[in-house]
Amino acid sequence: MSEILEKIAYCVEFGKINQQSPYPPDMKGQLGADELTKEALDTGLAPEDILKKGLVIGMERIGIKFRENKVFVPQVLMSAKAMSTAIEHLKPFFQSGDVKRSGIFIIGTVAGDLHDIGKNLVSMMVEGNGWEVVDLGTDVSADKFVNAIKDNPGSHVGLSALLTTTMINMEHILKEVKAASPETRVLIGGAPVSEDFKNKIGADFYSPDPQGAVEYLNSLVA
Amino acid sequence: MGKEYIFKAFKREETERTPWVPFVGCHGGKLIGVNAEGYLKSSTHMVNGLSAAIERYKPDGIPVVFDLQIEAEALGCELKWSESAPPAVISHPMINGISLQQLSIPKKEDGRIPEVIKTTKILKEKYPDLALYGLITGPFTLGLHLLGTEIFVGMMEDPEMVHELMQFTSQVSDALAGYYIEAGCDVIAVVDPMTSQIDPVSFETYVTPYVSKTFQFIKSKKAYSSFFVCGHAQQNIEEMCKCKPDNISIDENIPLDYVREMSLKYNLSFGGNLKLTLVLLLGSKEDAQKEAVECLDIGGKEGFILSPGCDLPMDTPPENLEAIVEVVYDNYTRDVVRTMDIEGTSLDLLNMKDYGQTDKVIVDIITLDSESCAPCQYMVEAVKKIAPHFEGIVEWREHPIKKMESISFMSSLMVKNIPTICIDGKISFVSKIPPKNELIAAIQKRINEKLKLKIKSKKGEILILGTSKNECIQAEKNVMAAINETGVDLEITTSTDEKILASYGIINTPAIIVAEYKLKAQGEVPDVRIIKEWIKDI
Repeated sequence: MSEILEKIAYCVEFGKINQQSPYPPDMKGQLGADELTKEALDTGLAPEDILKKGLVIGMERIGIKFRENKVFVPQVLMSAKAMSTAIEHLKPFFQSGDVKRSGIFIIGTVAGDLHDIGKNLVSMMVEGNGWEVVDLGTDVSADKFVNAIKDNPGSHVGLSALLTTTMINMEHILKEVKAASPETRVLIGGAPVSEDFKNKIGADFYSPDPQGAVEYLNSLVA
Repeated sequence: MGKEYIFKAFKREETERTPWVPFVGCHGGKLIGVNAEGYLKSSTHMVNGLSAAIERYKPDGIPVVFDLQIEAEALGCELKWSESAPPAVISHPMINGISLQQLSIPKKEDGRIPEVIKTTKILKEKYPDLALYGLITGPFTLGLHLLGTEIFVGMMEDPEMVHELMQFTSQVSDALAGYYIEAGCDVIAVVDPMTSQIDPVSFETYVTPYVSKTFQFIKSKKAYSSFFVCGHAQQNIEEMCKCKPDNISIDENIPLDYVREMSLKYNLSFGGNLKLTLVLLLGSKEDAQKEAVECLDIGGKEGFILSPGCDLPMDTPPENLEAIVEVVYDNYTRDVVRTMDIEGTSLDLLNMKDYGQTDKVIVDIITLDSESCAPCQYMVEAVKKIAPHFEGIVEWREHPIKKMESISFMSSLMVKNIPTICIDGKISFVSKIPPKNELIAAIQKRINEKLKLKIKSKKGEILILGTSKNECIQAEKNVMAAINETGVDLEITTSTDEKILASYGIINTPAIIVAEYKLKAQGEVPDVRIIKEWIKDI
């Protein structure tokens, strides 16, 4: 049982999407996350095990490598692509309730900012680590965040910004979110954001890399 | 000064002062009250905004336009404009079915390129001594504008396609570099922030071959080149150096000393990396100066160019940048900032409540050190010369802040500039050396004030309280006798009003209350902190 899960984890870690995918070069022609996940389901493995003992393990490994500057955005995107291909097979089980996810994470790039690379990376990493992600996209107003929290009780929120000018908007959104839902944890990130800035505006958490956000979220439900 | 300093730095020759290039982009709009969109679309506004910036920030070089969307716009990317930031690309033509073959190299007349050219020409004429930086979007970032994040996936799954794209975008770089050099730019900066997202091997494969050619092209046109990157790009600095630009410029995400070492290894100039948000945008003038001194100390005088990490946020307070100008141009300011920095803020402030209450007038001169700082020396001499004039009434002291106790003294007096003269604890002359008669007048004024204070401080009131008039008679007599014997000017008030008695909480009568009036300030409104000190004394 664990052999195929390890293979799935490996495919996610190294970004092997499916058999046709030419990447990574040394896995040419081999089965990818797509086929292996389907095979695992067919052999009767529990979908929750496939998620948490296969996909999540792979995402965690790539997340750590990304944090340690061993890999960069292209490699992580390939892993995320492999992961989301595999997760397609698990979607029916999420809907039926057979697979319980860790919680709901709402994410968006703050008002005025249209950059989404960082936001998407975090979104994919958090999803790949067993969370349900509500992605509000870019240029998201405080109202939209607040409404999304109302629609998803118990969720946590991630705010992303790339620009120094829009990063300032985090403070306002944070205040609105906390006013509407004090128990909601607010995570912030993005190139100009720092621990100092987090302290300055009073957000709950800052991480320079997506894996940090994953670990913080997991610590909330541990 | 001006561009000669920059050229020297590019050649790694020593300059007597570190050159300074504030990256004024849409911040120029703030200086003239125009929003980012209006500013970046009009050469008239850009010329006005940059002229304002040049007057205020006294730069040695300045970017003509800081907007990495100009090429993308000319190639059909849709932009979303904003009030206070450069526009953002919101559509990637190559994802929407446009092929590379359908795109052609932008011409001088396309998009906003004519505005950039026009701005360059006018500035060149107006400020011939300034190094003008023409900024072009780096080929990888432009590729990302055209193809979106698919470029990352493409690097893995379809390398040939990405090479073709990079070939095209670097031809765009060369074309724009050519236009801008022809218009009068002295330096072409290739700004490729998105390369911060890739690893060194990918950089070497997809960026190095193309950018290197662009730098060669710039050299062949007798212009200088710079390679800007922002974000966490430390892994690629060495690869960037290998592309052979004249200069590497980085932001606060990369330690300046690392870049210094690397550029030394490849014999390049380097620049950066004033913190954009926390310091320049959100910090105080003091923070900005401290940050600038740190950069200057690390950067040194050979090959270093002081600049912000990237495009200045539009709302950066101009005062913060002007504070940096002081540090760039003035050795003394720099020394002061350095010294203040060592001592930090954890100083014990002295209680200055009674300072200056003695019979003599005390003149304190806060200096860096009159032996090494010329303005400090002149200030001390000015005071020294007039002191005998007052025949012992005036006492003066120098407080060189190289000593710890002087710094705490300086902070206690709320002195911020060096050198400063305080008369009886009050800041009187800041930075400028007072002419003899002004200094004498200021001291004389203080002597007169003190005399008046002395007279007025004798004023007071004695309040006699009782339940009946009879009860107060003896008390009144005794108080009167005492006043007569001492000859002090005092008022006596007698009251039998129950309410007044109650307000003083008096139980046993008769009671005597002595109130002393003390003139603490006149002709000015003292700070709340100072008034609090008086109140504590009551």
